[in-house]
Amino acid sequence: MNAVFRIRQTWIIARLLLRRVFLFRRSSWVYLLAMFPAVVFLAHGIQMKIQNQWTPSRVTPSALLESIREGAREDEVIEKAGIPIKDRSFQSKQKKQLRNMEYFDGERWWFLSFRDGILQYKHNQKLVDFTKDRLAFAGMFQFYYLRLAIFFGCLGIFANLFRGEMLDKTLHFWFLAPARREVLLAGKYLASVIAALLVFTVGAVLGFAMMLWPHHAAQVTAYWQDQGLSHLFSYISAAALGCMGYGSIFLAFGLLFRNPIFPSIVILFWENINGVLPTWLQKLSVLHYAQSLCPVPVPTNDSMPVLIRLLISPADPPSTFTAIFGFIILTALVLWVTSRIVRRLEINYNTE
Amino acid sequence: MTVPEILFHDVSKFYGEVLGVNKVELRILPGITSLVGPNGSGKTTLMNLLTGLIHPDRGTIMVRGLSPRDPERLMRITGYATQYDTAPRGTTGFDFVSTGLIVAGNTKKQAADLAWKALEHIGMTEAAHRKVASYSKGMRQRVRLAQAIAGDPDVLVLDEPLNGLDPLIRAETVALFQDFAAQGRHVILSSHVLQEVDIISDRVIFISNGMIVAEGEIRGVREEIHEHPSQYMIRCRDASRVASLLFGQDHITEVKLHDDRLGLLVMTRDRVAFSRALTGIALDGHTIESVMAVDANVDALYKYLIGGSE
Ligand SMILES: Nc1ncnc2c1ncn2[C@@H]1O[C@H](COP(=O)(O)OP(=O)(O)O)[C@@H](O)[C@H]1O
Ligand SMILES: [Mg+2]
Repeated sequence: MNAVFRIRQTWIIARLLLRRVFLFRRSSWVYLLAMFPAVVFLAHGIQMKIQNQWTPSRVTPSALLESIREGAREDEVIEKAGIPIKDRSFQSKQKKQLRNMEYFDGERWWFLSFRDGILQYKHNQKLVDFTKDRLAFAGMFQFYYLRLAIFFGCLGIFANLFRGEMLDKTLHFWFLAPARREVLLAGKYLASVIAALLVFTVGAVLGFAMMLWPHHAAQVTAYWQDQGLSHLFSYISAAALGCMGYGSIFLAFGLLFRNPIFPSIVILFWENINGVLPTWLQKLSVLHYAQSLCPVPVPTNDSMPVLIRLLISPADPPSTFTAIFGFIILTALVLWVTSRIVRRLEINYNTE
Repeated sequence: MTVPEILFHDVSKFYGEVLGVNKVELRILPGITSLVGPNGSGKTTLMNLLTGLIHPDRGTIMVRGLSPRDPERLMRITGYATQYDTAPRGTTGFDFVSTGLIVAGNTKKQAADLAWKALEHIGMTEAAHRKVASYSKGMRQRVRLAQAIAGDPDVLVLDEPLNGLDPLIRAETVALFQDFAAQGRHVILSSHVLQEVDIISDRVIFISNGMIVAEGEIRGVREEIHEHPSQYMIRCRDASRVASLLFGQDHITEVKLHDDRLGLLVMTRDRVAFSRALTGIALDGHTIESVMAVDANVDALYKYLIGGSE
C-alpha cells in the first residue's frame, strides 16, 4: 500500500469514471456550451461562402469609389460610378428623403447613404475579412468562452462531484471500495479535469477551425506558418487553465456549501469586475491568468466605455510561467482542503 | 493466536438532534451474528459505523484490528450489502460487482473472473449484463449480495438480506452465510423480524431505540419462542391453491386468503416445518414471489425476551 499503488488506484478510478462521464446525458448542455463558437463560425462561414457565389459581375474600380467625397450629390455619384448594384429610396419620419446605394469593387462592398440627395456617409466592407474574423474569434473566446462557457461548464461538472452522488444515493458505492478517500477524491477530480479539458479544448479547436475555414487557402497557410499554430496553442492552454482553475474552485464549493450556486454567482461577479480592482486583488482570479495566455488582444478603441476597456486589458498581465505556477498552487491547495472534508464526509441520505 | 473480533467501545452516534445509537458496547466473535430490532432502532446505523460510511461522535470501533477510518485496508477484508438499492447510473450488474475488485488492484481479467464467480454463486449470471436500474427489488438485493461476497471478505455485513426473498433463494442464501461462518469469518446480518434469523444465527443482538437491549446465544430462548405462533405473508400467483396445500399441514393454525387472490396470511406453530412445506410447494412448480414474516406483536416478544434474559 504505497504511493505508487495509490497513484495507480487514482488512475483506475478516474478511468472507470471517465467511461461514465461521457455517457452522461445530464451533461449534454456542457457540450452545447463548448460547441457554440464552432456553430457560430460555421454559420458565418456558410454565409460568406454563399455571398461569394453571388458576387456581382459588375465591378466599379475602387480608386473611383475612393475619390467620391461625402457631400457629393446623387447625380454626380451616378455619373461618376455608374448605376449602383443595389439602390433603395425611402422617407424618414422627419420627411427627409433617404437613399442607400451599394457598389462592389471586386473585393469590397461600398455603402453610400444619402439624405435629401447629399452623400452623408460612406463605408466599405471586405467580402471576406480575415483580420476581422480573427479578432471576432479572440473576442468570442475572451467574453463568451472563458467567462461563460467554461465557467458554467465547470460549475456543472465539478460542483456535483460528490453532491450529485449524494442526491442519487450512489456515493456509498465508492466509499465502500478499498481506497483512501483522498485517492477517491483525486480520481474523481482527475476524471472531471480530463473530461472538461477534452470538451473545451475540442470546442476551442473546432471554433478556430471553423473561423479559418471560409478564408483563402493561401492566406490561412501564411497565417498558420507565421503565428497560427502558436495562437491555437495559446487558446488551448488558456481553455485548459480555465478548466483547471474553475474546476478546483467549484470542486471545493460543491463540498463546502449546501447550495454552491450562490457562492458561484459571487465568483462570477468577482471574476468579471476583476479588471477594475487594484492590481494585487486582480491576482486572485482565474481569468487574470487564463486571459494572459490569450494570444490576440481584443481590440479596444476609444468609443468603448472605460470600464469595458479596463475589464479586458489587465493592468499587469502575468507571465506564462507565473500563470501556470499559480494554477498548480491553487489546485494543490484546493485538493488539500477538500481531501480533509472528504475524509469526514458521511453517507447521509435520509436528510437530503 | 487470539480470535479476531469486532469491537464497539462506548459508541454513540447522533444525526443532529436525532439519536442513532447510544453507548454501544459490543464484542462480536466470528460466526453469524444477527442484529434484530424494529425499524428505526439503529441497525443500519451500527452497520454504517462498522464499515466507515459514517463516523461515531464518541467511542471507538475496531474491526479485526482495523479502524473503519481506513477504508483502504478495511474494505479489503469487508463486504457490505447495504439497504440502499441504487447503483451508479448506467452500471450493469457485472460492473457493480467488478468495480470494487478493479479498484482493489485486481487486473481486469482477475476482477472479471471473481465477479463472475460471485454472480454464479448468487445465480445472477443471466441478468449480469443488464443495467441494475432495470432489476427487480429482489434482483438488486441479490446483486448487492454478490458484490459483498466477491472479494472473499473475512467480514460480511448484510443489511436486511433476507427481506423479500423467495423461499428457494432464501434457503440458498442462508446456506451461503453458514458456509462463510464455518470458515471462521464474521457474518453480520440485520432483520426486523426475529423469526427470520433466529434459527440461523449463532448470536442475536437485540437493539431498540439505539440501545443494545439484549445480547447472547439464541439457543436458550429458541424453544420458548417456538411456542409463539408466527404469522407469514405470502405473495404468489395461485394463492388459493397454495392455501389449500398449506391448510392440510397440522402445524398450520390459520390461513387467510387476500382479497386480490394474490396473497395469503398464514399462522403456524412450527416455523421449521412451515418453511420446509413452503419449499416443497415451490419445488412443485408454484411460483412464490415473496414470503415475509409478520409478527403481530413484536414488542410483546421483545419484552418477553428482555425479561427472560435478565
Ligand atoms: N441520515 C440520517 N439523518 C437523520 N436521522 C437518521 C439518519 N439515518 C438514520 N436516522 C435515524 O436514526 C435512527 C436509527 O435509524 P437506522 O439505523 O436506519 O435504523 P434501522 O436500520 O434499525 O431501521 C432512526 O430514528 C432514524 O430516523
Ligand atoms: Mg435499516
